[in-house]
Amino acid sequence: MDFRLTEEQEFFRKTIADVVDRLIVPRAEEIDQKDEFPWDLWREFTKLGYLGLRYPEEYGGMNMDKVTTMIFYEEITRGSVGFAQSVIMNMLMGTHFVYRFGTEEIKQRCLVPAIRGEKICTICFTEDQSGSDLASIRTTAVRDGDYWIINGTKQWITNGPICDFCTVVATTDPSKGLKGINFFLVEKGTPGFSYGQVINKLGCRGVVTGELVFDNCRIPAENWLGDDLEKGVEYLGEILDEIRIMTGAMALGIARAAYQEALEFARKRVAFGRPIGKYQLIRAKFADMATEMEAARLLIYRAAWMLDQGMNCRKEAIMAKVFATEVCQKVVDEATRIYGANGFALEYAPQRHFRDARFLLYGGGTHEVLRDYLGRLLIGRL
Amino acid sequence: MEIICFIKQVPDNEAQVEVKGDGTGVNVEERYGLNFFDSLAVEEALRIKEKAGGKVTAITLGPERSVEVLRTAIAMGVDEAHLISDFSLQEGDEASTARVLAEAAKKIGYDLILCGREAFDDSSGAVGPMVAEFLGIPAVSVVTKVEVHPEERKAVVEREMEGGKEEIELPLPALLTAQKGLNEPRVPPVMGVMKAMKAEIKRWNLGDLGLDAQEVAPRGKTIRYVPPPKRPPVRYIKGEPQEMVKELVELLRDEAKVI
Amino acid sequence: MAGIWVFAEHKGGTFRKVVFELLGKAKELSGRVEGGIKALLLGGDEGTAEELAHYADEVYHLRSPFLDLYNCDAYREALLSLLEQERPSVLLAGATFQAKELFPMVAARLGVGIAVDAVALELQEGDRVMVRRPIYGGKALLEMVLEGTPQIVLVRPHTFPPASRRETPAPVVRKEVDIPPEKVRVKVKEVERAKEKVDLTEADVIVCGGRGLKGPENFSLLEELAQVLGGVVGATRAVVDAGWRPYEDQVGKSGKTVSPNLYFAVGLSGAIHHVMGMDTSKVVVAINKDPMAPIFQYADYGLVADLFEVVPLLKEELKKELGK
Repeated sequence: MDFRLTEEQEFFRKTIADVVDRLIVPRAEEIDQKDEFPWDLWREFTKLGYLGLRYPEEYGGMNMDKVTTMIFYEEITRGSVGFAQSVIMNMLMGTHFVYRFGTEEIKQRCLVPAIRGEKICTICFTEDQSGSDLASIRTTAVRDGDYWIINGTKQWITNGPICDFCTVVATTDPSKGLKGINFFLVEKGTPGFSYGQVINKLGCRGVVTGELVFDNCRIPAENWLGDDLEKGVEYLGEILDEIRIMTGAMALGIARAAYQEALEFARKRVAFGRPIGKYQLIRAKFADMATEMEAARLLIYRAAWMLDQGMNCRKEAIMAKVFATEVCQKVVDEATRIYGANGFALEYAPQRHFRDARFLLYGGGTHEVLRDYLGRLLIGRL
Repeated sequence: MEIICFIKQVPDNEAQVEVKGDGTGVNVEERYGLNFFDSLAVEEALRIKEKAGGKVTAITLGPERSVEVLRTAIAMGVDEAHLISDFSLQEGDEASTARVLAEAAKKIGYDLILCGREAFDDSSGAVGPMVAEFLGIPAVSVVTKVEVHPEERKAVVEREMEGGKEEIELPLPALLTAQKGLNEPRVPPVMGVMKAMKAEIKRWNLGDLGLDAQEVAPRGKTIRYVPPPKRPPVRYIKGEPQEMVKELVELLRDEAKVI
Repeated sequence: MAGIWVFAEHKGGTFRKVVFELLGKAKELSGRVEGGIKALLLGGDEGTAEELAHYADEVYHLRSPFLDLYNCDAYREALLSLLEQERPSVLLAGATFQAKELFPMVAARLGVGIAVDAVALELQEGDRVMVRRPIYGGKALLEMVLEGTPQIVLVRPHTFPPASRRETPAPVVRKEVDIPPEKVRVKVKEVERAKEKVDLTEADVIVCGGRGLKGPENFSLLEELAQVLGGVVGATRAVVDAGWRPYEDQVGKSGKTVSPNLYFAVGLSGAIHHVMGMDTSKVVVAINKDPMAPIFQYADYGLVADLFEVVPLLKEELKKELGK
């Protein structure tokens, strides 16, 4: 078993970590405090071309393996969670179905500019009354001649109120439950499509998250992103593992940022005449954090490796997401404790990591649902 | 314009550095990157090439792991990169390095050589001027502005020393060392990273350069390493501002004896 | 044993302060290294040489029209022509930009090594010197010896105390140097003279400010304090990058390394790259309202206070103390 990253992956990691340190880290505090989308940083960063990692070269992508994309997600989240969410939305969920099922014309109109950062996009699952229970969504898509008519309101949409296009998850037949789930492309400017309220969030500030309203929104037939009306949720299943592993990678990124802050602090901060890093209980905290982060890393990257090998990693992806997220909660908690009173000050970074980490508990799936699901996979249908 | 950049892989600024208990060496945390001043040199080389055409080659002398900074240079846009690595060079000093790099430059050919003003680890800054001397070409150190005039075979540079700012004109081929303020090194785009990941990097040893260990023997020897002197912990001066100030002045006068 | 030479770097006749520090150290070394102390003056006029003669056993005054302004080709050729005839045991110069450019070339041509940025120098056996110099930005030091003759050592300013001026000036040996014009390839033009103020690297007292000053206009507080102490104002990378202060004022790893007797760190956090540029200062006073600022780890005296209150008060107190 060779646990090493390849030389190329290691070089990529080194390079992107440096790019994040130079471009994103210096802005992270400001992005969080102002809670405004950093358009200038978006333009500067997307110009470098990293958003196309997971798509083929013909659309401006880089066709990279999953391990490399996870490295990217981990590093960029380490820099700024809000900014990372926005970027990753353009790279994965916001563009996947366009890539998978869009016509060539749609791909040129939406996918290509999204990879270049010229268009911002998103995907809309969540509603006021449905999160994990996807089958219960009330956003409908009704066929009308050569068009589909979308009706419904979506909540908690990352990039929503600033998006140029979005993939809307709607039901074509509520009676069929999950088998009625389908994906539709709605572009800005379409009559009946409007931005709603922006949510004022505890963390992941800087990315604009909010409501999208579809009121008799009429879209052409080709905007249905699918090939079988009953297979929508199956197609979603194709990327669920990737999304979960990605969330795990994000969790690790946040944990690393918090860990690093705590490390520098423990080395410098003096109490009772010695740097606190010399005390046993503080040392134990680092031992535990590092061990758990290492375990999370192994789960995440092994699952990513399995994806690259074409192996079924449904269970491993869930483990990676859940474990890494729980570890992250612990690490950001410990980091604020190590900071003592200063962990409570908005002036220092640990509180930001602490607030940001909370989104992982529901982003990519709540742990309650995921653990139940994993348990069922392990035990089998009884 | 054929431009050569000599670059070096050095530990990160924040890498932990600890002198071994017996003073025979230093334990350095394994976190490396491209020497900051060298990144300025690479950036400048790329800008000159973008204006005047030509080719940029990056060369480094170091252990196998140094190949990473060559890839970074390629990701930024250099055309070719070479690693010079040889066991006999481990104990080498600035003169050894300069001899080797000079031979490499001769082998490749150049109109201009750019390097950083000094490396973070050795902080000596001697290699650049020594290379120029071995090659018999003029050199200017710590430049903050470079203008190349290829048809007139000259460069006009600006630099600042303790006495003030100078403008210097020198014929090509020449060697320049980069100082902060020369430029802002570019961030590698993903296309550059892909190219770097796939790039074939040539390795050379002393034999490939026609040198033997004797010729590049160091001219000095390190006897031992010592940790930096420990400062006694800070003495906080307390009280109201007026009291603080009074006490400080007394301490500076009587204890520290600096006023 | 052919003595100790000290390169007397100067600009238009004004010597770098480090020259006197080296002459002082040379005096100490000459107790065991025979051959006397020679001060090397390139360019400059008779008056300059005369003044130098009060600090050495002999002055070699090299003259040529090419030597009027520092030019590394001309200076190198002049030094080499001298060194062809005689070689000292030890050749000292201050670790300035000029010397760091010039002496590696000299060393390369002579086939000897060079030690750059010495913070200590001690005689070992015979005439061999042991040089201690910082590496990894000062996180460690190494001790080394050079092979061959001369042993060329560039010394960090403020390492040694200055020599005392002697009553009787030593003899000045004038040498007209013949420098082949084709060897002088670089053409140097002075664009801007350094402002009359003392260079940071030579200052005895530095008052350095960071982002805590809140804006460029507040640096006048530091300028006033510096003036009372006869010192110079420095700046952190942050305020230089923000455009509040010029790059020539920057103290730090990518700015200037300074080693004054007294260093005030005002409203700056003490990031490691800054600290690496000043941690050999003799006495460091930190003023910062943030008790957690790392600078306090590197200071001798710490005032956790509002600089806008303390600095003016300090200025007044020092004015009283120094009778200004």
